[in-house]
Amino acid sequence: MARIIGGIGTSHVPTIAMAFDKGKRDDPDWKPLFQGYERVARWLEEKRPDVLFFCFNDHATSFFFDHYPTFALGVSDQYEIADEGLGRRRIPPLKGHAALSRHIARSLVDAEFDISVFQDTAIDHGLHSPLTMMWPSQPEWPGRVVPLVVNVIQQPLPRPSRCFALGKALRKAIESYPEDLKVAMVGTGGLSHQMIGDRAGFNDERWDREFLELIERDPERLARMSIEDFMRLGGNEGAEIIMWLIMRGALAPNARKIHQNYYLPMTTAMAVALFE
Amino acid sequence: MTRYVFDLERSARGLRLNRFLHGLAKADARKLLLENPEQAMNTLSEEERGMVRRLDWKAMQDYGASFFCLEKLARTKGVSNPEMVAAFRGETLDEFLKTRRVPGAR
Repeated sequence: MARIIGGIGTSHVPTIAMAFDKGKRDDPDWKPLFQGYERVARWLEEKRPDVLFFCFNDHATSFFFDHYPTFALGVSDQYEIADEGLGRRRIPPLKGHAALSRHIARSLVDAEFDISVFQDTAIDHGLHSPLTMMWPSQPEWPGRVVPLVVNVIQQPLPRPSRCFALGKALRKAIESYPEDLKVAMVGTGGLSHQMIGDRAGFNDERWDREFLELIERDPERLARMSIEDFMRLGGNEGAEIIMWLIMRGALAPNARKIHQNYYLPMTTAMAVALFE
Repeated sequence: MTRYVFDLERSARGLRLNRFLHGLAKADARKLLLENPEQAMNTLSEEERGMVRRLDWKAMQDYGASFFCLEKLARTKGVSNPEMVAAFRGETLDEFLKTRRVPGAR
């Protein structure tokens, strides 16, 4: 049977990919970010998960407001890298796991999570900006991804409690897949930032650190909060950390955080955390 | 204090502009905008064309543009996100960078 071996929470800021692609590992402005991912990269190398299940959002790249899904699961064996205005990143297409995806889609709908599915769709930095910090793309990706796109950019967003419950349903879905697979859950986004509106440039490190504690020790408390609460505390775009709740909901309740890094250089607080 | 939320009202208001901006995720559309902007913008109203010509980020935001669609125009024109955020705040880039911890990290 498939099993969940742990989880990763990570920011997906586009400049993380920019710093990686431009080789800024030893640049003093970026070194604290790269160092924060080393422990996670080592963990993935040691544990060798077959699949990374990614909860992330598309940034009006492959999905547009003519039809914007709340939860959409990728069910392909391969996903192209999206062009977001600068051409595609020079990394290979992502390998998917269609059979596992299809099983998850059926299981979720059976559990009354009526998700959308997508295939043959390119994926943007929401997934692969953190991915390249943790998983080598050369000579080829060490494993496969299953992408779950979450609407965090057009209100109304799904409730935090719904995200947490979706995580629990995902645990059941993954653990009922008959093949022996090791799966790691990844929740992306945040931490505090606001890119637009009257509070553009907003951050709150105190809230970010509280969130990083609560996501480990008391995710139920986060799940009881409203989207308004998340926007007030972490900025409008910071509310996307509800995607970490999906990841956390899929982990064992007593999962422990074994690593954390926090770096706030510019407009978005960049964090990564590892759970086992 | 007016609070900014990209909701269904704003999305409906900005749909035509956002569709144009979203289209810039394709190389052909970017090339056309750079070489023949008036033709590239022929689906837009005069008001919308004016905002795009002037790269008036604040006006496009207020009109109903999604930040994530604006990013496609910014990349096409070589404008960074900190420059856009500065514009939303009514600051120059230098003024905005002075409020940041690591101004070089962009």
